[in-house]
Amino acid sequence: MASLSEMYDVGWEEMRDKLRKWREDNCRNSEQIVDVGEELISEHASKLGDDVWIIYEQVMIAALDCSRDDLALTCLQELRKQFPDSHRVKRLTGMRLEALERYDEANKHYDAILQEDPTNTAARKRKISILRAQGKSTEAIRELNEYLEQFVGDQEAWHELSELYINEHDYGKAAFCLEELMMTNPHNHLYCEQYAEVKYTQGGMENLELARKYFAQALRLNNRNMRALFGLYMSASHIAASPKVSAKVKKDNIKYAAWAAAQINRAYKTELLTATRELSGGKLFNRTYY
Amino acid sequence: MAGPELLLDSSIRMWVVLPIVFITFFVGVLRHYVSQLLSSDRKLDLEQVSDSQVLLRSRVLRENGKYIPRQSFFMRKHYFNDAETGFFKRVKRKVVPKNPMTDTSMLTDMMKGNLTNVLPMILIGGWINWAFSGFVITKVPFPLTLRFKPMLQRGIDLLSLDASWVSSASWYFLNVFGLRSMYSLILGQDNAADQSRIMQDQMTGAAMAMPPDPNKAFKSEWEALEVVNHQWALESVEEELMARDLDFGGIFSANNS
Repeated sequence: MASLSEMYDVGWEEMRDKLRKWREDNCRNSEQIVDVGEELISEHASKLGDDVWIIYEQVMIAALDCSRDDLALTCLQELRKQFPDSHRVKRLTGMRLEALERYDEANKHYDAILQEDPTNTAARKRKISILRAQGKSTEAIRELNEYLEQFVGDQEAWHELSELYINEHDYGKAAFCLEELMMTNPHNHLYCEQYAEVKYTQGGMENLELARKYFAQALRLNNRNMRALFGLYMSASHIAASPKVSAKVKKDNIKYAAWAAAQINRAYKTELLTATRELSGGKLFNRTYY
Repeated sequence: MAGPELLLDSSIRMWVVLPIVFITFFVGVLRHYVSQLLSSDRKLDLEQVSDSQVLLRSRVLRENGKYIPRQSFFMRKHYFNDAETGFFKRVKRKVVPKNPMTDTSMLTDMMKGNLTNVLPMILIGGWINWAFSGFVITKVPFPLTLRFKPMLQRGIDLLSLDASWVSSASWYFLNVFGLRSMYSLILGQDNAADQSRIMQDQMTGAAMAMPPDPNKAFKSEWEALEVVNHQWALESVEEELMARDLDFGGIFSANNS
């Protein structure tokens, strides 16, 4: 089988740079990482210098995603040889055990890390993900709450908690978590949109109003958020259709819904037309492999 | 400008000025690596980390509270500031004053700091003073008063010599502070060869992640949060949004990831 570098005519430096870009953007394209990374470490490990260790870590996590335990074990052994006492490597060992579903051993690993270093957030978060993987949502929620009491600033954790609450249909608490995220990231349109959706699902006149406002805010932050546009239309029409509202509110919401509908039509008519023209002009295969 | 213009031997420039620059520079680089080897890991206290994050959250609430609904803002403000149950009122941390004499970790840190920074400076300064004594090195470009003479002209007892002419020891000290920017260029920011920063740290007291008294920090945060009002940023968001058509710019294009 031809190697990647022959197939796509890329050198090892380009492969390394691609890996770095994925690492910085936090992409989860595990299969691509495994392909590129495996070739890089088997053929060019000596040329990478000190970069090789972080590439080992990146490839190992991607390998666990693709259930390539052989590759994961190789990477882990190299890292263990180089950094025998590192907590970071111990966490990777625990992650491998999690991937093999040996949850009790993984838990023991993480407990050992936490005994040495109580402020280690990574180990705590792994323990919570074990609970989640085992399907114990209520315990995961409880542990995550305790974790967040101590580390109030951890945004990843707030997002995870909001997801857990949504799964449990506890929309009020999910909204609280999303509010934390909105405060720390006021310009992120996705959090506004998710918050609006939660409010819309909760239902009730006040929540619908809030939902409409936050859909509008998401649109203001990013004009291209189609989902928010639809959400705006739905919440406005829902309010307008409700029998209990005053005439003025009804009129306003009808106006909003009409505006949203007009924008949707405009998007699909004009933009889709230009896009189809582009496609038929032969630009279909413009995207490269990566 | 009073005083004669002296003509210095050019070998002074070659054999004194430049060597002092190199010596100072390399000693600084050496100091950086030695202090890295000797440095101990700073153990973070869980409570300190937790407190600093709480303060951060409260600050974020003050600054960005206008993006969340009024109800939620007041709920959080109540959580922090309520007279009986508020976090800032309720939580009192036990403050152990860190006495530098008895606290062992701080003592060893201080000793290491002294060893790597002050000692080489004294040693090298003294050696330079001894080795390169008896002549002036250079002239500082600005006039100095007579009071600087004994300080800057060690070993030269000429009464009529202008105070602007300085000896090697003063050139050495000039280098120590002047090469700071060179160090950050070569060793990256936050390097241990940066002496003046170390001295600044020593002057401001314990340079830890949290101010030594979390209670004071809580109190000031409480006051700051009390005065904040909620100005909802989304009051008229629909009107602002619908003032113009949305810009879809290539929303369905193939290159849009």
